[in-house]
Amino acid sequence: MLLKASRMAGRRALKAVLIDLSGTLHIEDTAVPGAQDALNRLRQASVAVKFVTNTTKESKRILFERLKRLNFNLQENEIFTSLSAARSLLEQKQHRPLLLVEDSALEDFTGIETSEPNAVVIGLAPDHFNYSTLNKAFRMILDGAPLIAIHKARYYKRKDGLALGPGPFVTGLEYATDCKATVVGKPEKTFFTQALSDLGCSPSEAVMIGDDARDDVGGAQNAGMLGILVRTGKYREGDENKISPAPHLTCDSFPDAVEHILQNLL
Amino acid sequence: MRTSHFVMADTGWPGCAKSLKGVILDLCGVLYDSGEGDGVAIPGSIEAVKKLKESDLQLRFCTNETQATREKFVAKLRRLGFDISVSEVFPPAPAAIAVLKERGLRPHLLVHDGLLPEFDGVDKTNPNCVIVGDAAENFSYQNLNEAFRVLIGLEKPVLFSLGQGRYYKETDGLKLDVGVYMKALEYACDLKAEVIGKPSPTFFQSVLNDMGLQPHEVLMIGDDLLNDVGGAQHCGMKGVQVRTGKYRSSEGLCLCVSSGLLRFIPVFFSLRTHGCERLRGRPPCPPRRSSSGVESGELGGDGPRGSGRQICS
Repeated sequence: MLLKASRMAGRRALKAVLIDLSGTLHIEDTAVPGAQDALNRLRQASVAVKFVTNTTKESKRILFERLKRLNFNLQENEIFTSLSAARSLLEQKQHRPLLLVEDSALEDFTGIETSEPNAVVIGLAPDHFNYSTLNKAFRMILDGAPLIAIHKARYYKRKDGLALGPGPFVTGLEYATDCKATVVGKPEKTFFTQALSDLGCSPSEAVMIGDDARDDVGGAQNAGMLGILVRTGKYREGDENKISPAPHLTCDSFPDAVEHILQNLL
Repeated sequence: MRTSHFVMADTGWPGCAKSLKGVILDLCGVLYDSGEGDGVAIPGSIEAVKKLKESDLQLRFCTNETQATREKFVAKLRRLGFDISVSEVFPPAPAAIAVLKERGLRPHLLVHDGLLPEFDGVDKTNPNCVIVGDAAENFSYQNLNEAFRVLIGLEKPVLFSLGQGRYYKETDGLKLDVGVYMKALEYACDLKAEVIGKPSPTFFQSVLNDMGLQPHEVLMIGDDLLNDVGGAQHCGMKGVQVRTGKYRSSEGLCLCVSSGLLRFIPVFFSLRTHGCERLRGRPPCPPRRSSSGVESGELGGDGPRGSGRQICS
């Protein structure tokens, strides 16, 4: 208890909670038991809530609709994705991207010019991760096109088991071309600070809840937030030992994380 | 006719020529160039192999070829006119099979269809390791995912990569090589692959074991400075880089740079017989980045040479 107190000493009151989606609130089309009620309890406290996700297969609208179907209480503008972060970067640099993203995510890039591409954007796109498309991307990068990674997740959980994320393919292309990708999603610091920016609070006033030790908790803590690791989704035994510092808390699932926040962090 | 073909970058020559008891030759870029059909034999190479075989030297061939079985590509070389047999050739797959046997491992294979027959006699049930080769079109998301799932499900995951090339050149452009997918799986599973094939020291050692010779008694001749020559010298062998491939970098890493077997072999034999052949050489070239953009001394990236399967103009 003393240890916890001293770690909490430098922190200001909690103002915002960032919540991961896939693996934390739901797994594909099934909500984590008790998560909807836990979210409602959290909303009754005076904290802002934002849903942050590296999910790149789906547009904001699709994510929002799924969460509504699962009876979660939220607004579409509370969702911040790595696709949003990628789009901002493309607009900023005026790149014309080769978009290796699932069709369902393309709508988040409407309005961006894609003819005669001069940049490669890699999201989670199993359909595009075939030999011939990757060769195409590879040759573009060798010719000077910047490589933008929506995120570098190693793997994620599907109904049928674990599946490769974009990270391995981005790493492979980095090796092939001797270039470094610009990563816009978790665990990049800017992702977290961007997510908090319109909530008017600093990282030291925020906590992140997620199932990915490195990308959710490690990334958030690196940005100055507290991190809570939940043992659902892609969590595997011992993940809490893979980051330093260790998660502020490791607990069974989202409802437990909310209880902890309500009792200890407000 | 060119007046000088050799760069003597180190001492040891010509004296060491006499103490050599074996020679290892790379295949693509040294004996032949790949291209349409079987490719084409490099001028002088057929005779060079013949001469080496007629001598008292032991001769072996080393390659990172993993798109076809030994039998298939030796047959191709024989069609081109080379006197070469399967037992003399060392590609990565048989070396990998030996390792599997030694360590009691059963592989999940992510390789080119053409390589599968090489693994016919191997127990692939209930795999406890993954072998990745230059699988080309077989590098689909699904296949990669399957390999990943095998690894992530193992308590002690083991990944073997048959070579570690970044890319190679074919008639229809540059293609990603096995090293890229090795890195992908390393990242996904947070592990390090074991490379079987050039430039792994264990690989070269297996050839030496077969020859029954010590490293200092063997000369490696290749066109890839890092994977062939660098790898061999790292094990204590002597290295000669030939310039018959596209790869033209010369950094003084190797003892001698020759324009080809055509030129080198006669001189080599002369050195062995007479011991003091006077050569018109020029000073070693200063270290520089090759046109392929590969850093010298880096035993990893090998630029456009890739696994050696490059079209030479």
